[in-house]
Amino acid sequence: MDSSHATPAFDIRGLAKVYRTEAGEVHALRGVDLQIAKGETLVLLGPSGSGKSTLLNILGGLDRASSGSARFHDLELTTASDRELTRYRRASVGFIFQFFNLVPSLTARENVALITEISRDPMPPEEALARVGLAERLDHFPAQLSGGEQQRVAVARAIAKRPELLFCDEPTGSLDSESGVRVLEAIVEVTAAVGATTMIVSHNTSIGAMADRIIRFRDGQITEAVANAHKVAPKEMAW
Amino acid sequence: MKPTPLDRKVLRDLWRMKWQVMAIALLIACGVSVAVMSFSAQRALATAQADFYAETRFADAFAQAKHAPLSLARELAAIEGVSALDVRIAEVGLMDVPGLERPATARLIALPQDERAALNGIVLVQGRLPDPTRTDEAVALKTFMTAAHLHLGQRLSAVIGGRTFDFKIVGAALSPEYVYVPAPESFMPDDAHQGVLWAPRPAVERVAGMSGAFNTAAFRLAPGASAASVLQDADRILSAYGGRAAYARADQPSHAFLDAELKELSTSASILPPIFLLIAAALVHLVITRLVEAEREQIGLLKAFGYSDLEAASPYLKLAGAIGLTGALAGGVAGGALGAATVDLYREYFRFPVLEVTFHWPAFAGASAVAVAAALGGSLTAVRRAAALSPAVAMAPPRPAAYRAGLLDRLVRGAGVDQATRMIVRHLERFPGRGLLAALGLASSLSLLVGTQFLFDSLDQVVDQAYYRTQSWTDSVGLAEARGLAAVAEIGRLPGVTAAEPVRVVAARLKAAGREETTRLVGLESDARLQRPLDARDRPIPFKGEGLVVSEALAGRLSLRPGDRVWVDVLDGRASSGLMTITALARDYSGFAAYLDRRALNRLLGEGDLANRAELLVAADARPAFYRAVADRPGIIGASSRDETVAAWRQAMAEAFRMTLTFYVGFAAAIAFGVAYNVTRISLSERSRDLATLHVLGFGHGECAYILAGELAVLALAAIPLGVLGGQGLAHGLVAAYSRDELRLPAVITAQSYGVAMAAYLIAVLLGGVLVVRRVWNLDLVSVLKTRE
Repeated sequence: MDSSHATPAFDIRGLAKVYRTEAGEVHALRGVDLQIAKGETLVLLGPSGSGKSTLLNILGGLDRASSGSARFHDLELTTASDRELTRYRRASVGFIFQFFNLVPSLTARENVALITEISRDPMPPEEALARVGLAERLDHFPAQLSGGEQQRVAVARAIAKRPELLFCDEPTGSLDSESGVRVLEAIVEVTAAVGATTMIVSHNTSIGAMADRIIRFRDGQITEAVANAHKVAPKEMAW
Repeated sequence: MKPTPLDRKVLRDLWRMKWQVMAIALLIACGVSVAVMSFSAQRALATAQADFYAETRFADAFAQAKHAPLSLARELAAIEGVSALDVRIAEVGLMDVPGLERPATARLIALPQDERAALNGIVLVQGRLPDPTRTDEAVALKTFMTAAHLHLGQRLSAVIGGRTFDFKIVGAALSPEYVYVPAPESFMPDDAHQGVLWAPRPAVERVAGMSGAFNTAAFRLAPGASAASVLQDADRILSAYGGRAAYARADQPSHAFLDAELKELSTSASILPPIFLLIAAALVHLVITRLVEAEREQIGLLKAFGYSDLEAASPYLKLAGAIGLTGALAGGVAGGALGAATVDLYREYFRFPVLEVTFHWPAFAGASAVAVAAALGGSLTAVRRAAALSPAVAMAPPRPAAYRAGLLDRLVRGAGVDQATRMIVRHLERFPGRGLLAALGLASSLSLLVGTQFLFDSLDQVVDQAYYRTQSWTDSVGLAEARGLAAVAEIGRLPGVTAAEPVRVVAARLKAAGREETTRLVGLESDARLQRPLDARDRPIPFKGEGLVVSEALAGRLSLRPGDRVWVDVLDGRASSGLMTITALARDYSGFAAYLDRRALNRLLGEGDLANRAELLVAADARPAFYRAVADRPGIIGASSRDETVAAWRQAMAEAFRMTLTFYVGFAAAIAFGVAYNVTRISLSERSRDLATLHVLGFGHGECAYILAGELAVLALAAIPLGVLGGQGLAHGLVAAYSRDELRLPAVITAQSYGVAMAAYLIAVLLGGVLVVRRVWNLDLVSVLKTRE
């Protein structure tokens, strides 16, 4: 997909993030420019500390940029208030985390319901879970599920509200390869169904094979952004 | 010595958890401070009492007569067990005091020849003793002088037994017999109207019309002597001279009151500290358990590096010990200050020449040891768990906390229940022990609030019952001698008097079932309106023939029930005795009276239609004229005003209880605050990851806060019925602990007290909760997503 011609989901210009620590200033992002098209799947690759997670956090409304601009429709994320960011996450964003972040005291169904309850036009939790292959495990608590199953609950939770944006931070980082593939398949299937723009941050370069575009980071900058002409399904990827 | 890395960890943990540590230490401090305060104040009082009694040679037993020749003293001194004897003249009359509307009682006591050898000596705090050759000088009780605003050199005039005693106050003194001065027929002090005067014997002999005679005797007993047999012998010897019931020091009014106060201090020292220390131990348990859970990886790591089980667990034990020690030290400081404040308050009520507070080190050491032991004990299961963690288990990534749908889930089933509420319920179900401890802690706070508010209600009820239901006179006057009804009628014609009823009061000893009690027989008109015994339902009890109506407390002591017979020995005047039938029990909260028809009492005494007290209704605007007239009547020895007595008492109570109540409310609030803060803080530590996740997923701060606050709200509400029940239990316990012979407290709690207690409780819980819940607004969204639980 060519981002320059499609409807833009994100318009990012000169985005920078500086952390002030006791050891001095850390430049996590040094002027990032990026346009992301609606429905596009991006995989962000790069070593630790290269800035990919920082970008994801800023675009997810979890962190604020030091300078530059990141615009989602009419919302300028860099200047939005806390309340606006909360509303943005609630209405538009789905998250999938490396460590799943399920609420241990709620069952699979209830973890999904947690989000559908506060969403405008969600799918029923049962449907979301069925889409990730967990129709049989609705009433299991997280402690009763494997890591891969927990992450699939997280996928169901993220897409049940039919988000415009899906942010995945190392979604397979704590899974074995077989579970990882199943989770990625679930992500691909359900994002296609809801038409979400997806950004996946990973250390694992082979995940790039499932992207529309691969963005490589180093030292807080984009070193390479290449369209992936040979997009493959997760189970066909060399892991 | 260089601190080890683990010691540094303890110090940093203390700093990191400073608010939690302080909230727990606060409870420990409360417990220790109450112990230190109570014991310090008790020792100050007990020391002052012992020193004062020793200095003034306070007597062990007391007896009275009407008019006994001095030669009888030798016989009294020869009673087996008596080591010293002091006989004197003491007479009672009335005197006008400038600035006081109502005349004051004047109790005139003869000074001994040698003050230093006499029993019940006085300690001069101002001025000098009277010149023994003069008959117009006197020393006055310091408390009376202060309350009545009198000064040295002031001239006063008392009317005693129809004779006038004009005198100048030359000195102010304290007396072991009048450390605390309750007004006659009352349990309340009325210092301004309780004049005690000491004058040389010749002056008193003249006023009393007694020469070569005495009417009071005081005895010092030899070690090991039987007080009962001395009292019996004294009564036998004095009976021919109008001897009244001899009594031991324990029944001396001032001493009895002081002893009751010392007993109350022991009560507060034994009830409160254990409550605080138990709750503190429970909180230490919860906090350290959570800490061990959160740091299982670190513990495993230490063990993997070769630290022994004990070494790896020791930081948690040290942390608990440090919390205990911090609380104990703070409690020591606070206890010392509170002890000094309490003793300051006592100086208002108990007049000793020297009343000094010293820090009670043994109480501090003991309470501190118990406090540290409680903190260590509280941490024990958590420390044991830390020691038992295997390095491999500790290092393995934790599974998500195991939850399951429990019993409470059924209550919150249904479509209407949101997931946040479900999280609250499941969390409570997962940690039932913690919830129970927290609810018990909160309940104990509310109990303390309800149970102590009750004291006010109870005292109000006592006053209401004594002064507005059982009695409805506005003024009453005592007569020096029993007189015919014409005397009462004459009083009834004094200015402002609209009603007058004759009353006959005599001291008597009641004997039944092998037990005996000294009390007052109160003879009332059969159709009396100004005083009448009431039954349990507040209905006036009619007299039946010669029958006796006794107070419930007296009946309890003698195991009497209506229909039983009781032997009555009259102790006043001419000795007379008889067997009487109990016709009913009266409910009253102060004193131990027995009531009967006045004519029946006179028949028992073998006397005519006499009275020695008049109860009156006096028009409020005519009071000054009435009191002026009373002061001129030689036969009258005492005048009481209900409104003044009650007002003075209410003021004294308000002063005395302001501090006590501030303590209790503060302490109870500390418990509610400490429990609410710590339980919510632990919950936040367990859930900060969940809450941050929810916030990332689009939950607002308020929605996240609801999960934390909801759990506290459930616990706080669940604790309310328990707390109210506990408060009622505590009220009953305090009734038992604080009730004295002269004052029995009913266990009543008004709606207003419940309201005050509930408000204080909810505010403290709210404060503890808000301090934690506001942290939801500062959750670190990014870091929480990058960490495992």
